Amino acid sequence: MVAVLLLQARPYGAAGAKPATTPGGENLAIIVNQSNPIDDLSLKELRTVFLGERSHWPNGRRITLVMMDQGLVERNAALRDVCHMSETEFGRHFLQGLFTGEVFVSPKTLSTPTGVRKFVFNVPGAIGYVRASDVDETVKVIRINGHRVDDPEYPLRLEARATK
Amino acid sequence: MSQVVNDERAAQGSWGGHLAKSVSGLVARHSSSLLLFMVLCVVVGVGAFMIGDLHTASVQVEKMYAGSVQGLRRIGELQYEAQETRRSTLYALTTNDSNLQVEYADQSREADKLVADGIAQYLAEERAPREIEVGKRLQRDWAAYLKVRDEVLASILEGSPRSIKEAVDLDLSGGVPSFDRVRQDLEEVKRLYDEQATEQRTLVDASSRRSVIRLMGVLVFTLMFASASVWAIQRSKMQNAMRLAKLQMDFVASVSHELRTPLAVISASAQNIADGVVDERKQLAKYGSVIRHHSRQLTELVNQILLFASTHEGRNRYVVRPLQVQEVIGAVLKNTRELAEEAGFAVEEHVDAKLPPVMGDFSAVSQCLQNLVVNAVKYGGTNPKIAIRAFGGNGEAGEKEVHISVEDHGIGIDSTELEQIFEPFYRSPVVTAAQIHGTGLGLPLAKSIAEAMHGRISVVSKVGVGSRFTLHLPAGKVEQTETPEAQRVGQS
Repeated sequence: MVAVLLLQARPYGAAGAKPATTPGGENLAIIVNQSNPIDDLSLKELRTVFLGERSHWPNGRRITLVMMDQGLVERNAALRDVCHMSETEFGRHFLQGLFTGEVFVSPKTLSTPTGVRKFVFNVPGAIGYVRASDVDETVKVIRINGHRVDDPEYPLRLEARATK
Repeated sequence: MSQVVNDERAAQGSWGGHLAKSVSGLVARHSSSLLLFMVLCVVVGVGAFMIGDLHTASVQVEKMYAGSVQGLRRIGELQYEAQETRRSTLYALTTNDSNLQVEYADQSREADKLVADGIAQYLAEERAPREIEVGKRLQRDWAAYLKVRDEVLASILEGSPRSIKEAVDLDLSGGVPSFDRVRQDLEEVKRLYDEQATEQRTLVDASSRRSVIRLMGVLVFTLMFASASVWAIQRSKMQNAMRLAKLQMDFVASVSHELRTPLAVISASAQNIADGVVDERKQLAKYGSVIRHHSRQLTELVNQILLFASTHEGRNRYVVRPLQVQEVIGAVLKNTRELAEEAGFAVEEHVDAKLPPVMGDFSAVSQCLQNLVVNAVKYGGTNPKIAIRAFGGNGEAGEKEVHISVEDHGIGIDSTELEQIFEPFYRSPVVTAAQIHGTGLGLPLAKSIAEAMHGRISVVSKVGVGSRFTLHLPAGKVEQTETPEAQRVGQS
């Protein structure tokens, strides 16, 4: 099977950090507030957080998910690799969850990685994602499945993995 | 007299006496210039004082500005930024747009950083204990408010209805009181600056008042001093003019008297001869001798006046050349022999051997010495002895000179008159009372000639003992030339 590459252009500048890339392309970093005690999450745990099925961090802080605008590469990657959903499925999931009371808070939406970073910086229970190259010292990058964002085995890529 | 005369060189070498004499002479001659110089000094002093006072006031105002005014401005800025911190936080409540809320959060954080920096700067400066206490309290209260602000911001950004309600509750319960404490602290700092400014303004006011009073005093003093100086200068000039007028009147009277006596004798003698009262040859010869004597006296008098006038107006042109002192003295003695013999005076002459030539105009130097000899005869008193001596010496700057002195043992000159005798038309009241005739021009003329020859005349005298006048002339020039001063005098 021929690999499908998402070639959407980036609408904003990088934060200047050296991009954490693997042979497959740039990685998607999951960021939390510096005060958050969490350092590592499994992909499964991350999925429960992203789908609003988990409401609080171990320190008691409410979890606030911050997403980027629809259509952006980072959002597509998160939906694909973390939620395993399409945009429509994701929207429907939250609508249904809020209606049934299974989901407590719908995600916040920001249009730039800088906005995401600042949001996470300001909200102790926030979690979000940016390109690895957009990370700075104001936020904390957590490991996924024990892998750092610059590890080759890191599971979250900006582009879809090639499939045979 | 002998002591005074013998000590002439010693007296000339005595710094104290010579200096005092020079200073008193200078003061007398240049009183107006000295007064003007003093006025100038006072004006410069006043100017320096005023500049100093203005500088002090400027430093105080600058200190007040840097300390209180600038401090108040900074506190104003801190108050604004603190409000901005809170305002931006609350603005975030007014929107559901997360992007905008993040912007407001950002603005709030930028403003709070400025406040924190301002407080740190305030504490870093040199402060009184009370100010430091208030500053540290402000720092604590600001940190406490920021802690609440961070929670409020986080709740606002979370964006759920529950978190918004929590944000509002938290702000009301914690944010408002903690921000009030910050506001009170800032007011306290402002009040301290106000007190400081008031204190400094009082100091500046007092300093300004002192400066104004001082300046007024100094200006009044300067004005009075300047007025007194101008008055003194005018008075001095008027007195000089009056003195000169009196001297000229005395001169006219004296000259008239000097002219009238020989003219009366000549006229009476001529009348007697014309009337045939005198017919014997012997008597005629006697009358002729009288007429010749008085005619010569008249001629001498007129010559003296004309010579002084020409010297005074600078019309003389001297030919300066090396002169042998012996020759000059010989000519002087020849011209004055008859006068001395008639008066019964013996003239003793002593010229040092190997004396260098002097630089001067022959007839002018002769005239100068002749005047000194005539004066020695005229004021020689009852001891009819005159001594003319010539010897080598050094000038005031150490240059080689020849000194020619004329010494008598007559009535002498009072020390208070030693300066005046060289002024034109001056006649001592003593000699006027003693009916000794003269014009008051002999010594001024001698002095003018000496100075035109680059020389000078000094005098040592004691009342009732005698006088010694010494002509100092530069020695040693070989080639014939015209002195620049002589040229200047001649051309002016």
